[in-house]
Amino acid sequence: MDGPLPLALIAASLAFTVVVLIYVALARTPDWGLLGFAGVIEAGTLALLVVAAAQVGDADLGGAGAITLFGYLLAGLALLPIGFVWSLAERSRGATAVLAVVGLTQAFVIVRTLQIWPS
Amino acid sequence: MSSTRTGAGRVLVAVYGVFALAATARSLVQLLTKAEEAPVAYALSAVAALVYVAATVGLAEVGPQPRRLAWAAVGFELVGVLTVGTLTVLDPELFPDATVWSAYGAGYGWLPLVLPFAGIAWLLRTAAGASSSVA
Repeated sequence: MDGPLPLALIAASLAFTVVVLIYVALARTPDWGLLGFAGVIEAGTLALLVVAAAQVGDADLGGAGAITLFGYLLAGLALLPIGFVWSLAERSRGATAVLAVVGLTQAFVIVRTLQIWPS
Repeated sequence: MSSTRTGAGRVLVAVYGVFALAATARSLVQLLTKAEEAPVAYALSAVAALVYVAATVGLAEVGPQPRRLAWAAVGFELVGVLTVGTLTVLDPELFPDATVWSAYGAGYGWLPLVLPFAGIAWLLRTAAGASSSVA
């Protein structure tokens, strides 16, 4: 959790959001490239979950800290798939913009895990 | 009747869905691990979570009944965020811990204050679409 992975995920999620907003501006619908980008973020989030699970024993999270941490990480894993399902069910700018909400939320989730993790 | 879940409504449902998930998870953790510390605040968070779930379902489903559910949820949400927001601004020590509606949702970038207005505007817009299509 102390390595570059969380920061890379935050940067990737924000970049994903910007790319989605460009798609919205150009009235483009999600394509394989966007899906691949999301797949990389998803894989990174899964790796972060594994790292957190491996290191949580040595961390002083206290009380509900561990529950909250893994709650955020599991939510982070679910966000992109659910967002894509909801977005791809319709071909419109609004539907594509759903992925921008997902990207921002994904970045927020990773920021929250960093705040919970003891420095 | 115009659907509330198409076009921009899809984004609105997504934002409500995120709030429903976040508020539900947060209130569950609070109530299960430290309910005695701030029971009123955590109960309010649980009520807010139910309201967000109801709004998400109401806006995501199509038909008169889901629309009524959405109206009830966003109406309750508006009253809740204005009431709790005003009370907590006047007396910041009112609750030992913050709720999602404390200080008009300042802890969540004031989105809890903006959301009910966006929800009501969208419900009115889609209702207007329904009446204009009849005319």
